[in-house]
Amino acid sequence: MSTEARALTRQDRPVAARARSRGRPPSSPLEEFEQVYLRNVDVLMGYFARRCRDPHTVADLTSETFVRAMDGFARFDPRRGSDRAWLFGIAAHVFARHCEQSAGGRDAVARLGGHRTLGMDEIEELAERIDAEREGAALMQRCARLPSVERAAIELVDLDGLSPKEAAQALGVSGVAFRKRLSRARSRLRKEHESND
Amino acid sequence: MTKFTDHLWSDLAREHGAALANADRPEPGRAPLLRRPRVLAGSTLGLAGAGTALALTLGASSTPAFAVTTSGDGSVLVTINQTTALPQANAKLTAMGIHEQVTIYMASGAAAVSGPVTCTPAPGVSGPPVKVLVGTNGTQVISSGNTGAGTWHLGACHLTGDSGSGNTGNTGAG
Repeated sequence: MSTEARALTRQDRPVAARARSRGRPPSSPLEEFEQVYLRNVDVLMGYFARRCRDPHTVADLTSETFVRAMDGFARFDPRRGSDRAWLFGIAAHVFARHCEQSAGGRDAVARLGGHRTLGMDEIEELAERIDAEREGAALMQRCARLPSVERAAIELVDLDGLSPKEAAQALGVSGVAFRKRLSRARSRLRKEHESND
Repeated sequence: MTKFTDHLWSDLAREHGAALANADRPEPGRAPLLRRPRVLAGSTLGLAGAGTALALTLGASSTPAFAVTTSGDGSVLVTINQTTALPQANAKLTAMGIHEQVTIYMASGAAAVSGPVTCTPAPGVSGPPVKVLVGTNGTQVISSGNTGAGTWHLGACHLTGDSGSGNTGNTGAG
């Protein structure tokens, strides 16, 4: 069976069968990537759902992140950092590109890969996800006055659940610098909260 | 999985899965010794001689060891058992109030003369004379199987200021 044929057959496996495969070591790069996908897709959707109110945009940015990740997966070495940190680094880049293109008046979403027509049920799911992220989005609003690097530190650790080490990897800074940044951000938020009381 | 995430995976596997199916993935186990350049922050390692400027990134397979000592004449001796210890040695210089940073250039083969090498300060850099000793006699042997395997000696040593004028330790730093 050709490689392509194997891939085509692979994707037809039911979700339940794929979920069962999570318990054993992956037998191929595609299966390894599938496990990475299953571990992270939800939290990455949340990352975009806090930033975008349009389900289609959330869908496309999530898709684009995984398309890029899949393209670069051969170079990803899990011994040097977690897959989540790696994916968040890609997601941040994807979102920055989206913002640049939006600011330029171009249709950013149409330029990104992975776009496809969503079914109504998928749109509803994504809209629910956006709603579910309202609290997180509200926290990000409260962080609006923080420098962007501190805001990112708060979000990755306190909302996305990355460890400080993973978040540092995602942002490409040292662990020491990141912990200082996070501590400073939390301190600022605390002071701001106290002054508002 | 939601319908969206399930459909997305199907699309990914269909459109990109074939390219990934036979990709070479890193073998399980411990991380390779080759580190990203930033691990060497504070140092630039290169091969001196014949115009070669090959960056050496040496693995830190064990805790890097170094010593910084001052002698009665005010000169400073930096001893490093592994070249990867140089960033820590530079940090130690700063901590000691010495505003000089060491950059070393390794050359292949054993040292012709055993002992430390006196570093040449860059223009405008002032401070006590600094000598560097690699290993116990100026020669470092990296065993086969490791990045940079072979016998090396300290070909040249330069001193820069500890702010601004020195290298950043990153390949291609501007």
